[in-house]
Amino acid sequence: MAKFYSSDVPEYKVDKEQFEFVQLKGDIADAAFQDKPIGFFKDAMLRFCRSKVSIVAFVGIVVILFMAIFMPMTSRWNYNDQDLNRINLPPKMPVLENVGILDGTRWLTNRRVDSLEDTTRYPEGSILKVINYRKVQGVDMCDIKVDYYKYCGLEDGTYFWMGTDYLGRDLWVRMWRGARVSLAIAFISVVCNVFIGIVYGSIAGYYGGKIDMIMMRITEIIGAFPEIVVVTLFILFFGTGMLSIILCLVVQNWIGTARMIRSQFYRYKGSEYVLAARTLGVKDMALIFRHILPNSIGPIITRAMIAIPGAIFTESFLAYIGLGIRAPESSIGVLLSQGQKIMQQYPNQVFFPAVVISLLMIAFNMLSNGLRDAFDPTQRGA
Amino acid sequence: MAKYIMQRILAMLVTLFIIVTIGFMVIRLMPGGIFDDAVDMSYEQRAALEAKYNLDKPIPVQYAMFLKGLVLEGDWGTSLKMYVNVPVWDVIKTKIPVTLYINFFSLLISLPLGIVLGIVAAIRKNTMTDYLISFLVVIFISVPSFIFATLLQYFVAFKAGLFPIIYDATAVGWDKFYCLTLPILALSLGPIARVTRYLRAELAETINSDFMLLAKTKGLTERQATINHGIRNSMLPLMNIIVPMFTSIMGGSLVIETIFSIPGMGGIMVKSINAPDYTVTLATLIFYSVVSLVTVLIVDLSYGIVDPRVRMGGKK
Repeated sequence: MAKFYSSDVPEYKVDKEQFEFVQLKGDIADAAFQDKPIGFFKDAMLRFCRSKVSIVAFVGIVVILFMAIFMPMTSRWNYNDQDLNRINLPPKMPVLENVGILDGTRWLTNRRVDSLEDTTRYPEGSILKVINYRKVQGVDMCDIKVDYYKYCGLEDGTYFWMGTDYLGRDLWVRMWRGARVSLAIAFISVVCNVFIGIVYGSIAGYYGGKIDMIMMRITEIIGAFPEIVVVTLFILFFGTGMLSIILCLVVQNWIGTARMIRSQFYRYKGSEYVLAARTLGVKDMALIFRHILPNSIGPIITRAMIAIPGAIFTESFLAYIGLGIRAPESSIGVLLSQGQKIMQQYPNQVFFPAVVISLLMIAFNMLSNGLRDAFDPTQRGA
Repeated sequence: MAKYIMQRILAMLVTLFIIVTIGFMVIRLMPGGIFDDAVDMSYEQRAALEAKYNLDKPIPVQYAMFLKGLVLEGDWGTSLKMYVNVPVWDVIKTKIPVTLYINFFSLLISLPLGIVLGIVAAIRKNTMTDYLISFLVVIFISVPSFIFATLLQYFVAFKAGLFPIIYDATAVGWDKFYCLTLPILALSLGPIARVTRYLRAELAETINSDFMLLAKTKGLTERQATINHGIRNSMLPLMNIIVPMFTSIMGGSLVIETIFSIPGMGGIMVKSINAPDYTVTLATLIFYSVVSLVTVLIVDLSYGIVDPRVRMGGKK
């Protein structure tokens, strides 16, 4: 028969004096943490800073943002200053012109030799180099390299860093103005996406059951429409403009966020701390926004960052198919689609916006990769 | 299985019907009439034209007539502005093959290439090869396809003269493919990168899993284990990204067709929107809807074939 413990049994009787304290005099090593506690964000921040690529991407985005905000203000020209005397100028930059690139020169082919002396056509000092003398049907012809700024009769010290477009508008200003518009469209649409997604996903995920079923069917129906068709119809209906572009970026893209939030709610709403909070009488709203939602702050931020290049892409896409921002306003997509048509004559008009949009997209992708790794190290490299 | 397929096709038709309805309403309710810029037209002429194309009737009646013509006689209406009095079907039937040609070719190229690159990157993880591939992947994923198209057109076609700058509509057979190489290439770079990244992540995870350890323990070589067990299992989730990939190729091809002047559906859609030519716009929208809905359907159905664990039509 098993023996059960009882203080009456003599062999279990222990006198008080026989006890001794284990650790009365020895040093207690784990009494208090010497370091400060590291919170969620600080932890993520530490991980984020460890990756050089993310830092470079972040700095790149900040620089582009800075340029987009301040460059249009500091220039001599407005984004819509037109002047037909200076159309399609080549780019010219103050320091680089001495090295021989971006010096505002252009080759003009098939010019009559006898007209080169004519100062009304070729102002004093505008011709830099003459080559390729030849006779075509008895007329002396040649190719010349001109300082295009002098050729157009512009005063010295005029610089268009990226040249001008077909209406003589400064492309440098237009590009940063365009970057500003594109980024504004992207940011506003992403904020709307995230907001709608959070509210919708929280409700569906938290309440579950029939509400969830109906709400998810609605998203499935909206998601079934092909994106090209939805975007086109939206622009056709509401007209081209910043607001309608933002709206058509929102109309389908919030679904992804909503689904993600919903799955997060399913993951956390059954956990003990939620039960504890509910037992203490916390209201639904507080449970949703204070207790469960903060769990998904990492994925939300990452997702928003991934959505921004997508929005910039769609904006340019719309500009290419002729549904972009309305005329005098500029955006990266508008510049690209205008420049693309005259690429063979003036490659600079498409080259610079292409570089900026590429850098912007790469930077945002790198940043979102870095953020994802920082918030959720288990997903690294995925 | 057959019942499940029927259900899916039915659901697809319902979605298509909703899209057509909304599309028709939106296009007809658009501000500005077709004949607005024809200022020299007298009131009677305009009324006669509108009566001819049924534009004077209420929109629901127009819609009913359109649907009746479409379903019963396959009649898409006539083009109103771009090719006056030419039936819409005659306008688009020559354009559809070109568009499908470049879209499917770019899908055909990008899947195997992406898979191979992804496998190489995953097997050689954390080596120079992997870093190089991952670096290229980031660039190709980020930079939009129309930027690649523009750059390829300028440097490869215009400066180097290796390929024609714009599409030659008369070319057939091999010449046609030669004309379309650059557009297909520009369209494929993004999807290749996407497949590569996805497969690399999947395979890298699969290689570390328990059954791979078992396979190696029982005596398979690294190569056998990877090919027979690793790759097979990491291919399954690839089905998930084919649909979004294909729709993004379709979107990209819209722009790339205009860049390379390819007379496809993209070009006709852009032109018809700017014309405006309602009947043609509607037809192109329906075309894009049908293609993407059918892709979704095919991928959904093939889940069961690729992965027998997914039961068709059963309870979740």
